[in-house]
Amino acid sequence: MRDDPTVIALVARATEGEQTAWDEIVERFAPLVWSICRRFRLSEADMYDVGQNVWLRLVEYLPSLREPAALPGWLATTTRRECLRVQRSGWRNERQLAQTELDLPADEETTQVDQWLIAHERESALRRAFAQLGERCQQLLALLMRDPPMPYAAISADLGIPIGSIGPSRARCLDQLRGSPHVAALIDGPAITTGREGGRDRRMVGR
Amino acid sequence: MTGAWWDDDDQFLSAVKTALATADEVPKRFVEIGKASFTWRDIDAELAALTYDSANDALAGAGTRAEPASLRCLTFDASQLTIELEIIGDALHGQLVPPQPGEVEIRHADGTSGAARVNDVGYFTATPVPTGTFRIYCHTASDIVVQTDWISL
Repeated sequence: MRDDPTVIALVARATEGEQTAWDEIVERFAPLVWSICRRFRLSEADMYDVGQNVWLRLVEYLPSLREPAALPGWLATTTRRECLRVQRSGWRNERQLAQTELDLPADEETTQVDQWLIAHERESALRRAFAQLGERCQQLLALLMRDPPMPYAAISADLGIPIGSIGPSRARCLDQLRGSPHVAALIDGPAITTGREGGRDRRMVGR
Repeated sequence: MTGAWWDDDDQFLSAVKTALATADEVPKRFVEIGKASFTWRDIDAELAALTYDSANDALAGAGTRAEPASLRCLTFDASQLTIELEIIGDALHGQLVPPQPGEVEIRHADGTSGAARVNDVGYFTATPVPTGTFRIYCHTASDIVVQTDWISL
């Protein structure tokens, strides 16, 4: 993801002033910004406030983004800080609450942001892979992911396929997903390494 | 924890489910607000970056400062101009350094704005204190054009 050529191209085009490239950046990364806001359990109004500030800052920051591939990391860190700011202003008169589990020292902040990025990277790869699946597989998997679970008999009636073929089709469709280049890249090893986490572990062992 | 998340069909399907749900739950308006921010792109005004914020001091030394909570100082630096802001009570006070006359606009992220004159010694004021997300756009008599980073007090 960090070396995603599409992101690099999008950043270059947006820097030149192309609105459509900007729109695509927002669409791609809005789930990352949103999911971080969710972790902070902000009110909906505060989430919009954070979102707006993050994108406004990105508009400013874009021309000086030397390494376009670092965009996801910048977004995650900026969102996190905006969330903390909103939380603090909400707590202006309750100082004792200013330390939260999400308000961490710098190296732990990096680890936390890395974990969010790994989750984001995985999820966006899975979404892209899913979007490229054949229609039949998409339909079948969508029904299988229903909450509460849909009985096989109902799925069979819905799709007009025998109950006995649902299991094998499910396995085949999931294999297709695993075979997608987006997912295969993840399985081969995420682009964002958890090296920092390892470093932290070693440091703890050394103590 | 022998198998990875993608090995087991059930685990893998549940990862796909989470991925799709995460994107679905993002409200359309949240995305639209993001897209609309691009209209704020302004390559003509130089950006004055935030270089000092008293709130950071206050947080670092939590509770040790004696000033009233309403006092807040911010400094924004551009190559030829510094904009110093102070919030005291219900007014925003500004000072251009080096001191010089001009005009400032308080531009809100929602598209509204208000103007203020900068006097001959570089001072301006605005009441009440702007709320929400805003920035100061400044055009001096000597034709320096800068705008600050976005501010949320």
